[in-house]
Amino acid sequence: MLFNSFHFVFFFFIVTSLYFTIPHPWRWLLLLASSCYFYMAFVPIYILILGFTIIIDYFAGIYIENAEGKRRKLFLIFSLIANIGVLAVFKYYNFINTNLSFLLHGFALENPIPYLSILLPIGLSFHTFQAMSYTIEVYRGHQKAERHFGIYSLYVMFYPQLVAGPIERPQNLLHQFREPHEFDYDRVVGGLKLMLWGIFKKLVIADRLSIYVNATYNNADQHNGTTLLLATIFFAFQIYCDFSGYSDIAIGSAKVMGFKLMTNFNRPYFARNISEFWKRWHISLSTWFKDYLYISLGGNKVSVPRWYFNLFFVFLVSGLWHGANWTYIIWGALNGFYLVFAIMTQGVRNKINDITGIHHLPKFHHALQILTTFALSCFAWVFFRANNVNDAFTIIGKIFTLPGPLFYESASELIYPFASILLLLAVELKNEFYKGDFSFFNNKNWVVRLGSYTMLIIIILVIGVFDGGQFIYFQF
Amino acid sequence: MVDFFVGSTLRYFYFHQKNGERFRTTYDLESTTADILIFGSSRANHHYHPAVFEERLHESCRNVGRDGNFILYSDAILKGILKRHTPKVVILDVVAEEFMINQYNYDNLTVLLPYYKGHPEMREIIALKSPTEKIKLISQIYPFNSLLLSIAIGNTDFNKNKRPDINGYLPLTKKLNEPIEFNDLPVSYEVDSTKLKMYESFIRDCKKSNIKLIIVCSPYYNKFNEPIYSIALAKKIALKNNIPFFDYSKDPFFTSKPNLFSDKIHLNDEGARIFSNMLVDQIENELTKNHF
Repeated sequence: MLFNSFHFVFFFFIVTSLYFTIPHPWRWLLLLASSCYFYMAFVPIYILILGFTIIIDYFAGIYIENAEGKRRKLFLIFSLIANIGVLAVFKYYNFINTNLSFLLHGFALENPIPYLSILLPIGLSFHTFQAMSYTIEVYRGHQKAERHFGIYSLYVMFYPQLVAGPIERPQNLLHQFREPHEFDYDRVVGGLKLMLWGIFKKLVIADRLSIYVNATYNNADQHNGTTLLLATIFFAFQIYCDFSGYSDIAIGSAKVMGFKLMTNFNRPYFARNISEFWKRWHISLSTWFKDYLYISLGGNKVSVPRWYFNLFFVFLVSGLWHGANWTYIIWGALNGFYLVFAIMTQGVRNKINDITGIHHLPKFHHALQILTTFALSCFAWVFFRANNVNDAFTIIGKIFTLPGPLFYESASELIYPFASILLLLAVELKNEFYKGDFSFFNNKNWVVRLGSYTMLIIIILVIGVFDGGQFIYFQF
Repeated sequence: MVDFFVGSTLRYFYFHQKNGERFRTTYDLESTTADILIFGSSRANHHYHPAVFEERLHESCRNVGRDGNFILYSDAILKGILKRHTPKVVILDVVAEEFMINQYNYDNLTVLLPYYKGHPEMREIIALKSPTEKIKLISQIYPFNSLLLSIAIGNTDFNKNKRPDINGYLPLTKKLNEPIEFNDLPVSYEVDSTKLKMYESFIRDCKKSNIKLIIVCSPYYNKFNEPIYSIALAKKIALKNNIPFFDYSKDPFFTSKPNLFSDKIHLNDEGARIFSNMLVDQIENELTKNHF
């Protein structure tokens, strides 16, 4: 079920109304049943995969807690293999097989391993990672094993964040299913406002930009560098608004019922370096990799070359997490390279700053850093969005060597996207640099508040794209 | 209340456009009294020159074809026009992919949303766009979604100066200069039963209103697999209903002349004039044969 569908509007209204109507002891059952329905609205059969990992991790958690010594680790490894195994089969099997065929072809050999004709279950990487964080936290002793099978299932399946996160930690989410949430008008309104802002980002910005991005990126060989550069910038905003829009709706819909999900985005395009960018972008995944992979590898408490390797490796895996395609792997590797390069050149860059005296102009310096970070992330987005590696290199080549007139079939293809990006930037600028000042959504004057909701709804109705389809991150 | 106010304002300006694609659809539905009407997609719109038909058949003619819209749109527009005017002759242009399953064709029914309120006879077809369309249409703004800019432009003379139409016909000027290519359309595929029903409904509506219907597949600059499944199906149904069907999809005169095309599926103005004259020859024969 898509958040941007009427199906979801009815679903959300019915589930939320029932949630506040039925007694607290039965609410987990309502949420679990509705989460099953939500997931089965995509491809019903894939709920069995979820069921499989839920059963494995539920028992793994209890066994890990009860066991001692090496047996604890054994149960954890068993759980991790089961989860990663599911990912490997459904997400990476055909990718590995394709590359194996390519390799064998080089030696004039046929690949005897058959391909699997399967669809990738929606949001598999998200709920698998959330399930894995549970067993790891139980193993580390940060979380007690959940004995209530229904509540544990709900932890993995809670519909607002089931298919595209935020990837929650058991310490933050599990206990919330046991807390009675009363109807709180201010909280409900706060959640609805966040949902509305998420819908705006998805329908007005992301889906509007996707029209231009798809038209150009899907026919990259027919467009000049100027057009492809604009499409790349558009894509940077498209993916941000698509994914953060989803997160806003997820966090908002959970908030309406009284659940607090973790923040997933914090105005990433105002980051002044790539390291900061990753502290602001897809925070639940970045922290997941930091907590469970980077630190496990030794983090920065190792030799310098090993530290560089740890950073690079984590981003390589992050790229692979996004999709079984070389484009994602290169995207991850690029981000890893950016980080390592930034650390390696820190001293040189400080010297350049001293020589140029740029730090005496803090605002200019700040703006330059933001623009440089944005340009670097855009460069990496080319690989993320391109249909294949060849296309990505074609696009980059054209951007640097083939300027030309901008492609557009009608002026509205450019005017709507520019207007919506400007509106987004205005709101984010205000929230980033003038936090305590005037607020439309939280204004004390109800006329301003009501006017701003109404205006946002009118903008959605007037220029939102209603046939835009699903969220980009569902495929991961 | 705000939805009503903004929606009504947009409606007012939408129906007061002076030119452009949306104005043409409004004119087709609300004002045309032409004797000959040409229906279909962009291929209809760019292939049939009304002046040729008017000059040779001595009847008024209007091209009501529209880019990116196929039988669903044509059937809706015919129903809308028949409510107030009955043409003598209707020409329906069908395309090689006419009955293929393609969600895009349903999405494109968006162009008819502004007419939902005023044309109950078209509602059933417009509702095919999505199961929740009727609910969305409670909003007064929704029918005009994404149209703000084009409504503004349509209320100026911008389109008129930039791209004037000739009784609905829009000439293309480019000349193709490349070898003919193979169009890999499959020889058989699952047919969209709704589109098929609309095609049959179009024929039925014309028959009921005693309109002389002629169905045509206009020229392509493409080689196809044999048969072109949708065309074969359209022809079979037409002939079963005693409707003349003229197939120019593989006409060697056109497939040997890329300079008559603007791209592989659209004739340019010169090609359109030649094709329109050839078609009129056939129509004259047909009309004489049937003492029309």
